[in-house]
Amino acid sequence: MNSKASPSDSTKIAKGDKDEGSHTHIELKYQPAVPVPKGKLAVWLFLSTEIMFFTALIGTYIVLRFGAPEGTWPTPEDVRVLEWLGAVNTFVLICSSVTVVFGMEAAKQNHPGKAKKWLLATFVLGCGFLGIKAYEYNSKFEHGIHPGTPRSLLYDRADLNYLSAVKANLDAEILKIEKKKTALASESVHSHGGGEKDLILIRAGLVQWTQKTVGETESPMVRQLVLESLAHQINPRRPNPRVETYLANEAADVKNQIAELLGQQEVVDEDVRQLQERVNAITKELGLEQDETKKSNIEIRLATATDESKAAATRSTEVVDLLAPLESRIAAYQQFNQIHDGLNEHFHLRLPMVIPSGNTWANTYFLMTGFHALHVLGGLIAFIVLMTFRLDSSKAGLMENVGLYWHFVDIVWIFLFPLLYLF
Amino acid sequence: MIETKSVDRDPSEKSNTKVFVLVFLMLCVLTALSFWVANSYLMENKVVGWAAMMMVSVAKAMLVILFFMHLWWERAWKYVLTIPALFMGLLLVLLLVPDVGYRYLTYSKDRRENAPEPVVSELTEGDSVIPISD
Repeated sequence: MNSKASPSDSTKIAKGDKDEGSHTHIELKYQPAVPVPKGKLAVWLFLSTEIMFFTALIGTYIVLRFGAPEGTWPTPEDVRVLEWLGAVNTFVLICSSVTVVFGMEAAKQNHPGKAKKWLLATFVLGCGFLGIKAYEYNSKFEHGIHPGTPRSLLYDRADLNYLSAVKANLDAEILKIEKKKTALASESVHSHGGGEKDLILIRAGLVQWTQKTVGETESPMVRQLVLESLAHQINPRRPNPRVETYLANEAADVKNQIAELLGQQEVVDEDVRQLQERVNAITKELGLEQDETKKSNIEIRLATATDESKAAATRSTEVVDLLAPLESRIAAYQQFNQIHDGLNEHFHLRLPMVIPSGNTWANTYFLMTGFHALHVLGGLIAFIVLMTFRLDSSKAGLMENVGLYWHFVDIVWIFLFPLLYLF
Repeated sequence: MIETKSVDRDPSEKSNTKVFVLVFLMLCVLTALSFWVANSYLMENKVVGWAAMMMVSVAKAMLVILFFMHLWWERAWKYVLTIPALFMGLLLVLLLVPDVGYRYLTYSKDRRENAPEPVVSELTEGDSVIPISD
């Protein structure tokens, strides 16, 4: 019957014990503390420990998330979280909770076929949830969002450490293309040529320029801005007027420097030309001259002219050397400034990105959703085992226990969804 | 012997089905509601938006626990199991509140220097015109 019977039961045992004296052994009867089947009690106790387990995980997230000052926690767009996909997954889990309840009801009414169908529907929905989760994980891995090193491409701030990571990554990428180029026949490489050109421009115009500026500038502000602008061009998180103004001003300044250097180059080139002409003239004169004393005189003049000409040529190459980084900087500015989705997206690169607290976010995200997904997986295995039985009313209790666990998994997701997708 | 199978529950199964369908619809509406809150004016004050979304989540969890997990129809033993667990959970979260406050309010020099950059820049647009030093 139920718990109301238990006091009378126990008194009966006591009486029976007295009446029959020492002839029989004491008849021990199981007296449950809670009037529910043992299995159900076990599941509920297990779930109470699970509540604390997930509370600990969620609590850790809450401390990190809400303890982070304004603006230092990634937004959903930063870390490629799609809110609607999370909402769809919530819906899928709610549906699966309903189907498992209907399955249990069917088993209770002794309809094993119906019960199995509902269970199958629950199983399919659970698989759907995991499928969407796998898709989400994959899209994060594709963008270099991993729980920490060595795979993570996320950096907390744009600093020298970040710059050297970008440089190493880019060098490796270019080396890979070059290796492929030498391995392949030359005619089939043309499609890759454009990509390599872009990479080389990124290296010269962005990375090496940033290195140069950081090394040369005295102002920490400029150092910070040039590093920030590199991070912004690789992966813009939001419109950043500060960086955009800096880049525009810098481009204007670089243009002025180029104009100045081109002016210098003209003068130097004119020098080089005149000196070369003088050398030629003197050489000619030398050829025509017969007098030995005059000849030696001309030879000295020739040597001086040649030296001067060489010096002018050196000056000319110096100017060219000065021009080269400026020109690649301006080329990079003109080519990349119009790209609004960032170099990583645009060229399908995997350069390191700056996302403040990105790694901390990834750690908590993968920890919580990973443990939740493992629980879903456990539920799916339980469903498979359950489906091997004939699900008549004798199995209703078992189905209820599995259902209780499944609903708990649903409840965890009910809290994870707003915390991870909407906050 | 003690047998509880389904004696505790509402004997009329048809009304149960109706309840489950109703709860399902409410869960769907509540999910849509929290999605709406996230994209609405309530998020202008984030704390208000967060509180609203958490309230919606608690309501959803209560619906699942009470009806899908049958606690609504269970006898008094449910309190023995749920209240201690609830207390432990609440206690754990409440214990963390000072930690959150401490992290949020005190931002030591050391932490500032080693922390990720705040996105809100200290410079206004007017300040940002910085010539390149050569």
